[in-house]
Amino acid sequence: MENVEILSTDFLILGGGAAGCMAAIKAAEAAPSLDVVLMEKAEISRSGAAGRGMDALNNVVIPGVGTVDEYVEALEIVADGVLEPTISRVIAERSFGVLRKLEEWGLEFPRDSKGGYIVGSFHPKGRFLVEMRGELKKLLAKRVTASRTKVYNRHVALAILKEGDHAAGAVGLDLRQGVLRAFLAPAVLLATGGAARIGLPNTGYLHGTFDCPWCSGEAWKMGFEAGAALTGFEYTATSSMTKDFNGPGLSTFIRHGAWLVNGLGERFMERYDPVALERAPAGLRAQAMLQEIRSGRGPIGFSCSHLPEETIRIIEEGIFETERPTMRDYFMKKGLDLRRDPVEVVMSEVYLCGGHGLAGFVGDAFGETTLKGLYAAGDCLANPYGFLVGAMVMGEAAAQRVVSLKENRPQNPNLKETLEALQEALIRHKRGALGVSVKEFEYKFRRLVNEYVAPPKTKLKLTRFLRETEGMLADQEDLPAEDFHQLMKVMEAKAGLFSARMAALASLYRTESRFGLYHQRLDFPQKDDLNWKTRVILSPGPEGAVARKEKP
Amino acid sequence: MNLLIDEKTCIRCGACVEHCPGDVLYLDEKGLPFEKYPDDCWYCGVCQAECPVECIELLFPYLIR
Repeated sequence: MENVEILSTDFLILGGGAAGCMAAIKAAEAAPSLDVVLMEKAEISRSGAAGRGMDALNNVVIPGVGTVDEYVEALEIVADGVLEPTISRVIAERSFGVLRKLEEWGLEFPRDSKGGYIVGSFHPKGRFLVEMRGELKKLLAKRVTASRTKVYNRHVALAILKEGDHAAGAVGLDLRQGVLRAFLAPAVLLATGGAARIGLPNTGYLHGTFDCPWCSGEAWKMGFEAGAALTGFEYTATSSMTKDFNGPGLSTFIRHGAWLVNGLGERFMERYDPVALERAPAGLRAQAMLQEIRSGRGPIGFSCSHLPEETIRIIEEGIFETERPTMRDYFMKKGLDLRRDPVEVVMSEVYLCGGHGLAGFVGDAFGETTLKGLYAAGDCLANPYGFLVGAMVMGEAAAQRVVSLKENRPQNPNLKETLEALQEALIRHKRGALGVSVKEFEYKFRRLVNEYVAPPKTKLKLTRFLRETEGMLADQEDLPAEDFHQLMKVMEAKAGLFSARMAALASLYRTESRFGLYHQRLDFPQKDDLNWKTRVILSPGPEGAVARKEKP
Repeated sequence: MNLLIDEKTCIRCGACVEHCPGDVLYLDEKGLPFEKYPDDCWYCGVCQAECPVECIELLFPYLIR
């Protein structure tokens, strides 16, 4: 075969975001002789959902401020009663260790006048949010580079290799050279993020999304095809975001005491959740925001005008200097001033995310999926609202497990057939018999998501989506790709469609309403704790995905 | 077009191309960066932050300006 290189390693990490980098660092620290390969679609110092910055760690259990049990209780509320607590508990237990490590490495955690961490509340109960400053991702990348990890930037992962019922490596495409590079490995960590490009945003741009648009559900498609089960796909999340810019800021605004106000200037959360107010569970808050807009009381926004200048400066510092510095330019160009103007917010397109929601791989305490040897961490792992801390903790946990198991490298994986299938697929995309651009293809399924999968949901709409997209599954194999960048986008579009169909399947299966707006079924408007206080698991079957309840 | 690159100031180091998380930027035959795939930009500002001579201005795509 031409343009193929076959290598082997002890631990293969796919995705060099916060989770993947932390896994590489931990593996090198725990077993310096272990051979580790990290494959990244972009370049590790700026890749992933936290590539540009983050102004806080949302969920750290600080001794003396919070407890592990309190954190898990808060997550029970957030997950609306269907939390499987194993991973959340691991995150809580190890979160402070991660903070201390980052601090030791040079990240700044501002202290109050008594020398304590500045801890805010974001969850419906408890205080777990710690202010953070500095270039997290660059710092992690620097430590990866200093370790013996072999980093392959600009490589897009295409398929998981198997040896019997065990993961045995993966094949990636070198986007610069066009080489298919296979790595045989007894342990593979999937850490390529969630899926941002599911719903169609109102910005008019396919990449103008709330969540990182270069994460498109690739891990889920690859992992599921190899045999790993998924959960939480009916949790089709939407976030409030700065109108047009689609920028973040929700947590920054909320924890510093900004109010959600409607067009009449009313603090409307008083009507929907008088106790938690803006800190209500995300799905409930989203429902309230949508209700205000639909009732003609919009536009809605975050108001900071009641806050002292000192607090406004902290908000600006967090958003403009750490989290998303281009937002400062945007506010300036729009003439927006937090002291005076409410920041208009709209609901984002729907997305699927393990660290910002409930969707992802079913994993154990180490993030090992239902396929032996295949681990997941970060936004592709179901680590309910684990955020950035969850990504780093589970990256570490997976690495530690891999180091302790020390499994032998695969002898006889399904390499030949996988490479042949991939080469055949690449040839078809080069030929591009469909004659429709990947942009049109992606626009089409995402428009259908807005129409039929985004809440409020019904059986008729969800069934319609699955039927309408059935033919697209065949079409996608003949999407044209003139160069390797286009090929990457074809793979992203396929993974996005896969993820959207999983969301429709899981949404169809859960015949009740739960998670506020996120899984509102108009045909089953009531929450049904008797029958549905359980996660929905999607497993690969001979005829496609099979949905079942985790607790029958 | 999402960016304005000042060609006179640009030192053609390629840092913006190397770090762009969306693989949006490439170098032309003169060694100057250009937006080869402008549709894939998230206006994250990594190019701007990585530029050692501050020659990149973020314009934002027209629909959201």
